Amino acid sequence: MPYVARTGVVGVAIMPSVTGRERSLEELLYHVTQLALRDAGMTIDDIDGIVVASNDQLDGRAISIMAASAAVGGVDRDILSTPSAGEHAFVMGALRVATGQYRTQLVVSWSPTEAAPFHEAQHLAADPYYHRKLPLDEVSSHALQASALLSSVPGVEAMAKKVAEKNRQNGRGAYPEQTGRSENAIKVPWPLDAGMVSPPVTGAVALVLASEEYVNEHPDLPVAWISGMGWATEAAYLGDRDLAQASSLAEAARQAYGEAGIADPVGAFEVAEVADATPYQELLAYEALGLAPRAEWGARLDDGTFGPGGKLPVNLSGGALSLNPVYCTGLIRIAEIARRVLGRDGANTRTGLAHAASGFAMQYNTVVVLRRGEQGAAA
Amino acid sequence: MSTELLMRQETWNITYTHALGETASWFYVQLRDHAKLYGKRDAKSGRVLIPPRSFSDQTLEPTTDWVEVGPGGVIETFSIVYEEFNGLPPPPYAFGYVKLDGADTAIGGYFKGVDLSDPKAASAKLKIGTRVTTKFAEKRAGDVLDFWFESDAG
Repeated sequence: MPYVARTGVVGVAIMPSVTGRERSLEELLYHVTQLALRDAGMTIDDIDGIVVASNDQLDGRAISIMAASAAVGGVDRDILSTPSAGEHAFVMGALRVATGQYRTQLVVSWSPTEAAPFHEAQHLAADPYYHRKLPLDEVSSHALQASALLSSVPGVEAMAKKVAEKNRQNGRGAYPEQTGRSENAIKVPWPLDAGMVSPPVTGAVALVLASEEYVNEHPDLPVAWISGMGWATEAAYLGDRDLAQASSLAEAARQAYGEAGIADPVGAFEVAEVADATPYQELLAYEALGLAPRAEWGARLDDGTFGPGGKLPVNLSGGALSLNPVYCTGLIRIAEIARRVLGRDGANTRTGLAHAASGFAMQYNTVVVLRRGEQGAAA
Repeated sequence: MSTELLMRQETWNITYTHALGETASWFYVQLRDHAKLYGKRDAKSGRVLIPPRSFSDQTLEPTTDWVEVGPGGVIETFSIVYEEFNGLPPPPYAFGYVKLDGADTAIGGYFKGVDLSDPKAASAKLKIGTRVTTKFAEKRAGDVLDFWFESDAG
């Protein structure tokens, strides 16, 4: 990154589906934070600043940073909060380290399922002027996006089914205990069906970021360097957008690839995690990330390019199609890539691409490129 | 001995009274009193924006003149929603976005006149690109529910 300090991920904890009522939300945040700190070989005393992202409607608590501050170690520490997207906490934390003013940052996001009806909580995101009187929640906005794609790409429904099957199979491998066991149910809007969306689950995720200076002082610490990062937003009014395109994702990718010096993204990464609240989103991501234009979606799915063992496996974690902690799925995509690039899965992954999306029909898009450092136990 | 795990349920009932501002107010008054839909022109780009805004979020210039749009238009996207939403009529809902004649953006609204019990058949009738006409309720409150779209093909 063209910033003052090189920044990397050094710790990750992912809880993509939490069941049971043994922990309150605050206790869950304490737990995921401790796991991430332990993963980084740190204690909270090593942390210079904290960024959290959560959604007040889902938390049932205004300025839900209050729910977090004690649990994540924010008492008497620098802590910031953003409600825009879980992945934006990562962007803010990375930028803070990149300024050279902080050696470390803790980034945490979460998504409970304590609000009912869940879709009414999301409906509050629609503006009260022109959209509140429409049945808009995240999944109905994703349905409008799918509908737009269905009318512009012949055969796309069969491709979407293949993507959904691929990710669910990946999910059964990556998280066999949790996948397919949501306690919640949703009525799925047309043209989606139960095979193409997953009901909400409770989840939490935490990452620890560190500067090059910190990493150099800890020569055994594996690091996943952030070599490129980009983010962009589209119009809030859905009727202003072409929902069959993902222009803000293309812009975020342009920024991230530019920073990372990537000209040919297909050959540049060993793994990718992309937004897949529906399989249509994963297809849009293939195109906007420069992995496959829509004319090639069918062929690339048939030849297994994006499957396990393919040239660029996409969503080996199973993605949100397997486990859908709605608000923090974006930060989890980044954490899943960080986990692999850090070598936590025992494989030898050196480069990974993460795409996170949030909002109605992928309004916010973030792209992160991670590369493994030469040092550390996994190197 | 395992602890008995307690849950605490709370329901909030808070009323918000949102100011709509001059632009949305004028739009809804025309809809309520005259059964007409208007967009507002961004003079810099020439685009007619509906729902109307007092400024363009692309040029950040104030919008200028009002332009009547519709009642004809084209379906841009569409969905059938089965969840029940607070303050809306009972589901299922056929809703989506229509680019009305004379407008450069699409407006969200409901589709009526289609049997939703068979979603495949309904979606074929409300295919993207289908010409529709805006219909208006006899009694209008100045609200998105005052109008809806029906396919010209019947």
